Amino acid sequence: MSSSISTVWAGPSVRRGALIIVLLLTAISYAQIGDLRAPSDAIAGEPASISASGGSAATLYLVGPSIATKRDVKLEGQIRLAAQELQSAGRYIATVCADACRSVAFFVEPSKPVHLTFLMHPSRAPVGENDVLSGVALPFDEFRNLVLSPATVDFQLKVKDAALMNHGASTQDGIAWFRTNSGRSAGVLQVVASINDVSELRVVQQVASEPCSLRIKGQRSPKGILVQTDPVRDCGGNPVPDGTVVTFTAKGDGQISTVDAPIKQGVARAQMTASGPVAISAASGVVMGNELRVGVQ
Amino acid sequence: MQHRTANTRPSSRLVSALASIVLLALMTPCCVFGADTTVQVMLDSSKANPRTIEALTGRSLLRDYKFAWANLAQALETGSPAPLSGLFAGTARTWLNDEVGSQARSGLTTRYRNQSHKLEAVFYAPEGDVIELHDTADYDLQILDGSKTIHEEHVVVRYVVLMTPGADRWVVRQLQSVPHF
Repeated sequence: MSSSISTVWAGPSVRRGALIIVLLLTAISYAQIGDLRAPSDAIAGEPASISASGGSAATLYLVGPSIATKRDVKLEGQIRLAAQELQSAGRYIATVCADACRSVAFFVEPSKPVHLTFLMHPSRAPVGENDVLSGVALPFDEFRNLVLSPATVDFQLKVKDAALMNHGASTQDGIAWFRTNSGRSAGVLQVVASINDVSELRVVQQVASEPCSLRIKGQRSPKGILVQTDPVRDCGGNPVPDGTVVTFTAKGDGQISTVDAPIKQGVARAQMTASGPVAISAASGVVMGNELRVGVQ
Repeated sequence: MQHRTANTRPSSRLVSALASIVLLALMTPCCVFGADTTVQVMLDSSKANPRTIEALTGRSLLRDYKFAWANLAQALETGSPAPLSGLFAGTARTWLNDEVGSQARSGLTTRYRNQSHKLEAVFYAPEGDVIELHDTADYDLQILDGSKTIHEEHVVVRYVVLMTPGADRWVVRQLQSVPHF
């Protein structure tokens, strides 16, 4: 994971003698810096050290994903790199300059996961739909490095305290994901993603699907005809959420009038204005209700 | 009957138009991307899963990733975090801001030249809210202390990249170099 990099640091020579002098000086300079070795298996947020020899005073430059520092060092064995200097995972270049400069590159690996970014979709889902729920989890260490080594993320779906699904997914390139069907009952679905001791909870509101059938009833009133549905439910028996629109249509005397009414507390109501005989029907989504015939007032 | 012709002096209009084009060509790179605009990016989206990448999305990713690297290079060369504001977010932006600030305190600058990026989309979330890319980048890297070059190399670096969609662009949220994919 580390590599040694030669540095361009000599002026052009014109004559042979000068070239020899430059080569000698370069050789002496390298001798002053000596051997330079990068840390092996460096972990984010942990101290490490570069081994350097030569005995002379030098300047250490450390350039990494979120850092670029410069400090004086003595080339006497180990040059300590503080934990704070190595918090970001990625490639670092350590350059030591005395009369000449030498560099080594090394990688810092992420630490263990302590954060989990968990994306769960959607926040509201109709019951009984295939592959409508999906979750994506990304483990990060305490320095927000994406943990790329394979790990298992457990996804747990539960309604109240009853587990609907347990699914373990191994991260690939730092990502684990799942996709599944929604449940059969409306209500709160809790989705937990966990890795080691870290877990994240998301909540999905499962709502009734489309109405399964519509039944309407009505009666004359002083202002016209008052029509209303029976409680509207989906095919699983779940009450269709309030706000779902039911369209009432009245046909009579060659005229058609429509009224859109939202469901309130499970029932949609509408006041139709018609004095003659009419046929009233209702529809919501793709579902048609029964036809109601109301005679002359 | 008089005819008024707009094109009475074609040569001067042609010269003027050419001058405008040349001026625009000269000004655009310096004002938008800084010193070096030679960022080559290729995207292979054939392995993206579980969601496939639409052609339009691919073009947007390509455009925004290219601009992101041009802006990154400009920020690290000029020592200004301003170019990072548009196309970086989250951890990527924090890290780069820290690096720019750290460079300024140390008197260092970093130059990226002749950038070439081979991008491979490896994960595209089912709902399209995050994409992971593998970038095999090669470029000339130069680190300077003041005007003195302390390090230069031509290097191939692999990056794991997370991008998320913004209002009108894709932003880089994680830019993490790795020894290998």
